[in-house]
Amino acid sequence: MEMIATLRADAAKLLSEGRAKLVIGYQARGMHRAPLFVSDPAKVDRLVYDEACKQNLAVYLRKPEVRVKGPAAIVAPPAVMRSLMVLASETQLAEATVLAVDTNAYHGVLDLAGVAALLKEKYADLAPPKELFDELAKLNAMSPEERARFWTGQFAKCTRCYACRAACPGCYCLRCIVEKNVPQWVSTAAAQHGNYEWHVIRAFHQAGRCTLCGACEAACPQGIPLMLLNLTISEEIAKRFGEKAGYDPAAKPVVGSWKPGDDEEFIR
Amino acid sequence: MKTLDANKLSDLAAALAAAGYRVVAPLKDGAEVRMKEWAPGAAIDIGPVPVNSIKEFLFPRTEVVAKFSLEGNDFKPEPFETPAPKTAILAVRPCDASAMAALDKVFNWEYKDDPWNARRAATTLVSLVCTAADEDCFCTSVGGAPDATAGADAILRPADGGKKLILESLGAKGEALVAAAGAVVAEGRAKADSPAQVPVRFDAKAVAEWCAGNFESPLWREVSLGCLGCGACAYCCPTCHCFDIQDEATRTESVRLRNWDTCGLGLFTLHASGHNPRPDQASRWRQRVMHKFSYFVEKFGILACTGCGRCGRICPGGMAIAQVCKEIDEARKAVAK
Repeated sequence: MEMIATLRADAAKLLSEGRAKLVIGYQARGMHRAPLFVSDPAKVDRLVYDEACKQNLAVYLRKPEVRVKGPAAIVAPPAVMRSLMVLASETQLAEATVLAVDTNAYHGVLDLAGVAALLKEKYADLAPPKELFDELAKLNAMSPEERARFWTGQFAKCTRCYACRAACPGCYCLRCIVEKNVPQWVSTAAAQHGNYEWHVIRAFHQAGRCTLCGACEAACPQGIPLMLLNLTISEEIAKRFGEKAGYDPAAKPVVGSWKPGDDEEFIR
Repeated sequence: MKTLDANKLSDLAAALAAAGYRVVAPLKDGAEVRMKEWAPGAAIDIGPVPVNSIKEFLFPRTEVVAKFSLEGNDFKPEPFETPAPKTAILAVRPCDASAMAALDKVFNWEYKDDPWNARRAATTLVSLVCTAADEDCFCTSVGGAPDATAGADAILRPADGGKKLILESLGAKGEALVAAAGAVVAEGRAKADSPAQVPVRFDAKAVAEWCAGNFESPLWREVSLGCLGCGACAYCCPTCHCFDIQDEATRTESVRLRNWDTCGLGLFTLHASGHNPRPDQASRWRQRVMHKFSYFVEKFGILACTGCGRCGRICPGGMAIAQVCKEIDEARKAVAK
């Protein structure tokens, strides 16, 4: 049977057997891909999966309006699976029913342990495309002044719509620092000062947690290359702590934990 | 008729800049085409619909609306200027130009907004007839057209299969701009290309009627499940105009800022008590649709949606106001049967 047909059959089965009351997957809206929330087993035929499905659906698992319709099963390509691992390790997700999919394989219905095993076995080497590393190398070769000019130009585009935050499964604070307004911590003006603060804070808060899924950059309506910031920090985490986010559902947070072997050269 | 070669828009921009205009045009900017201030060497691209609307050149993302100096417990107002440079915006989409009617209404409702009116008076809009539309375009569903002239001071019509542009002035500002263009535009003959075909996707009047009786409908929750709660749709929208007032101060001076804001974000309606009358994306989406298709029409007699389709092109949750309206229209028809 064709891959998508098997996935649809599994989704229908989960719904009709009551193992899930909601399946979160992808549907096509013309050229766009949009999330599909399906509760009726007769309507699973709208589920699609292809390379155009860039949104990270794990973001919906914490949305209250979606949760009340659950328990939910989620269609998860590897990037989404890694977000589930992060959410589990941060105690945001106790269990999950996952329809594990990839562009050329369907791995069936898995739980969190099954997803962890699958990631380790088949997707241990997930990494962003080489072009992104090349871009970052170019950026790192610049003088600090040139690099500051680059980011000033990029951040000038930002309207502070926070689509990057909204699209990220890891950005789940009920009240983000930019919304702390008594007093106002970060300027809300979409101008240089506040925009710099916002982008640096967003990236820093992802240290050791970002799985490089690319959802934030794909969400940005202004085309700001957020993945360059994310990759900078992920590379630093890998170098300093030897960690790669999104594989171990029991992982301790890199920034919030300490190990005897941790690098201490920065303590002077 | 006045014509110019379609690839000579940069010459037009240069002539206008030499005549003292700040020129804004759709420019290539990385992978995007963005309405941006033109400078010599910038590449004008009139192909795709730009990612941003033109509103930020008349209603900036952030602007100073008052200035104070502080000394001890005293503060006194300080003079400041509202920048309103003479501006020409080139190749404005008809859907963006027609948004001016809605913004003129709201910024001159009970209070006359000086910064808006000053910039409006200083700005000349040169529309561009759309000869192609994508699947997100829906101007014809909201009373617009790919060759509409509403809000424009002059219009560029692609002609001779896209090789030429016909420049027509539509009023005094347009006349002045054509005069400033000088030799870049010349008397000539060209055959205007057909405007794009944009199918009608829903009945806007029926949507407003349905809204009136369905404030508590469960459909709001259904259609908004994908909404992630960001402001991407509002900030690319040519008519969304909500703002927040913020004071930013040091020990010696303070500025009062008007910053864009949006009903899509939870903080927009959060009370100091902690209560939020719009607690979820369902109530925020209801507000978005009601404001554009119902409240605005009741108050000002026009829709606050021009069918540009940007919200549907950029939504990170795959949503589109046209799709929501279509679903409302379908729900209404299903009940009527």
